[in-house]
Amino acid sequence: MSLRTAVAHRNLLYLLSLKELRTRYRKSLLGWAWSLLNPISQMIIFSILFLKVFGGVPPKGAASGLTNFPLYFLAGLLPFQFFAVSVTASIGSVQGGASLIKKVAFPHEHLVLSIVIAQFVTVCIELLVLSVTFLLFGHFMFQWLVPMAVLLGLIGLFTIGVALTLSAANVFFHDINYLWGIVSQVLFYSSPIIFVPEQIPSRSVRAISNWGPTGSFVRAAQEILYDNRMPSPERWLQVSLYAGVTFVAGAWIFNRLSPRFAEEM
Amino acid sequence: MSLRAGPASTTADGYALRVADVTKTFRIHHERASSLKAFIAAGGRNRYEDFYALRNVSFDVAEGEAVGVIGHNGSGKSTLLKCMAKILTPNAGHVEVTKRMAALLELGAGFHPELSGRDNVFLNAAILGMGRKEIAERFDEIVAFSGLEQFIDTPVKTYSSGMYVRLAFAVAINVEPELLLIDEILAVGDVTFQQKCMEKFVDFREQGRTLVLVTHDTGNVRDFCDRAIWLDHGVVRSDGEPAAVIDEYTETMLGAQQSTETEGMRRGDGQITIQRVELLVDGVPVDRFRTGDDVTVRLHFEASESIPKPVFAISIASFTGALVTSPSSRNVGQIPDAISGSGVVDIELGDVPLVPQRYVLHTEITGYGRQRVYDHLQNARTFDVVTGSSSETHGVVTLNPVWKISGDDVVPSLE
Repeated sequence: MSLRTAVAHRNLLYLLSLKELRTRYRKSLLGWAWSLLNPISQMIIFSILFLKVFGGVPPKGAASGLTNFPLYFLAGLLPFQFFAVSVTASIGSVQGGASLIKKVAFPHEHLVLSIVIAQFVTVCIELLVLSVTFLLFGHFMFQWLVPMAVLLGLIGLFTIGVALTLSAANVFFHDINYLWGIVSQVLFYSSPIIFVPEQIPSRSVRAISNWGPTGSFVRAAQEILYDNRMPSPERWLQVSLYAGVTFVAGAWIFNRLSPRFAEEM
Repeated sequence: MSLRAGPASTTADGYALRVADVTKTFRIHHERASSLKAFIAAGGRNRYEDFYALRNVSFDVAEGEAVGVIGHNGSGKSTLLKCMAKILTPNAGHVEVTKRMAALLELGAGFHPELSGRDNVFLNAAILGMGRKEIAERFDEIVAFSGLEQFIDTPVKTYSSGMYVRLAFAVAINVEPELLLIDEILAVGDVTFQQKCMEKFVDFREQGRTLVLVTHDTGNVRDFCDRAIWLDHGVVRSDGEPAAVIDEYTETMLGAQQSTETEGMRRGDGQITIQRVELLVDGVPVDRFRTGDDVTVRLHFEASESIPKPVFAISIASFTGALVTSPSSRNVGQIPDAISGSGVVDIELGDVPLVPQRYVLHTEITGYGRQRVYDHLQNARTFDVVTGSSSETHGVVTLNPVWKISGDDVVPSLE
């Protein structure tokens, strides 16, 4: 699908994203609160595990001076969840749009993009709530939301790249879903969300968690939100490369496969 | 449904749609691997054969033209429509669209049950490619056309299927395409709504817009289109005047499925039976004839004993079951006192005014007192009528009308 038709259908993208946001919590009692309750419950579980079970020492924020594991955890979890939840929701989205794809010509990528956009809006709201929480702990970080927004944009590109690839592949092989279930676990536990990279004894494991694709995004987010310092230029370059390469590759793969969707379904 | 914006300018030759040498194949998988394991087990290959749904199809549709694409099931006409609508990508050749196009393939594709009618109108119109402002401007018109003002803010999952279709059609038709592709959707909704759709299509035509109708209903093509294209096994078999193309099509289709005497359902005492039913035109047995031909039905009977006062009857019904006529020898008092052995009954029908379609013929021999049924043969045979002296196609018979138009100021046609 060419860029021209994608632009001509921008209204569709807007409405699909809106639909995504509106229908997600239909018929649920707590509605939007779920998008906050989920990270909070995880925060409680992992804080008990880290602090009480394993007796871990919370990292010290370089510039902020924070020593608070729950906040450290949330700073890493929110950007990771934005990525993981978006991809999980995207994988079936193209196949799920089969009735539409077989009957209507429209830019298929909008099915995927609308999900990532809706998740983007969600993570932004979560981040604002997190900022208020940080404030309650006497830690002001609103000025850091600007670099965080840039970082989220890059994570968004990375997410779109992965989501486009997997959702297109899922049309041809339905087991992408299960595969992703394992991969997302690996990515979660290899990223420094529930541990502190400096405390890892093994050098190679430390390197992976620091410089792996999701690990680097998580590190950058922690540096901004928890440590209150600007990530190094190398870090920015690294996340930009991950985002750019993944996005371009995903868009290329999707464009190659999308003309075949209608007949494969 | 889909809508694409094409360049607004008119092309030099003034075509709205060009199908250039389009070939489309589908893979018929012998063992389709839809899991990675199966795929790898098969050595990374799926075994398949190519099936040609379209083979080098080419034609132009001029601006303002209404074209009907006809063909039997599996002729490739749906594939062609999907290629024109850009849902499928041809393997070779290309489709050019110079106009804003909307394709009505399925009404309400993309309706979301949880959302209100209002939200779905916006979403559906956006899928068709409309901008937000444009939709807002047309919104009232769309709702008015659907007649669902009261329900527009309730979720569409509470709609009846009729309401659903009405709203969907209202959206589709109000995107104001200059080129409309339609797939058999003239048969949706109740009679009133169909009427409304027909009016909209007529308006559409009068405004000089372009229409491509893909259907197996040749009647619609005859009524609506100024050109017909007959697609047969993926190739254009004929292209031209609807009447000529449709006649050729129906004759070939009917010829393909031999209509002769069938194994009918027989009941009765059996002392006298119908052995064979023939149709004669000019004394020659035929399987089909033309509207207006002079036809004789010949029944061959055989009686095993002497039958007193037998009454012969036939009845002719359309293939869909509507009874056309049911003459009996009792009606005209042609009752022999007794018959035995074998013989024939000729029923001269004269100029048969049946319109082109398939018919079924039943026969019956009863006693004069009606209490005895000697032989009742349901579906004794079928026969086909093809276009002849009349060009009427609707209903069952033509009454051979003669038209005279007079008035204060009627300019006669030059023909």
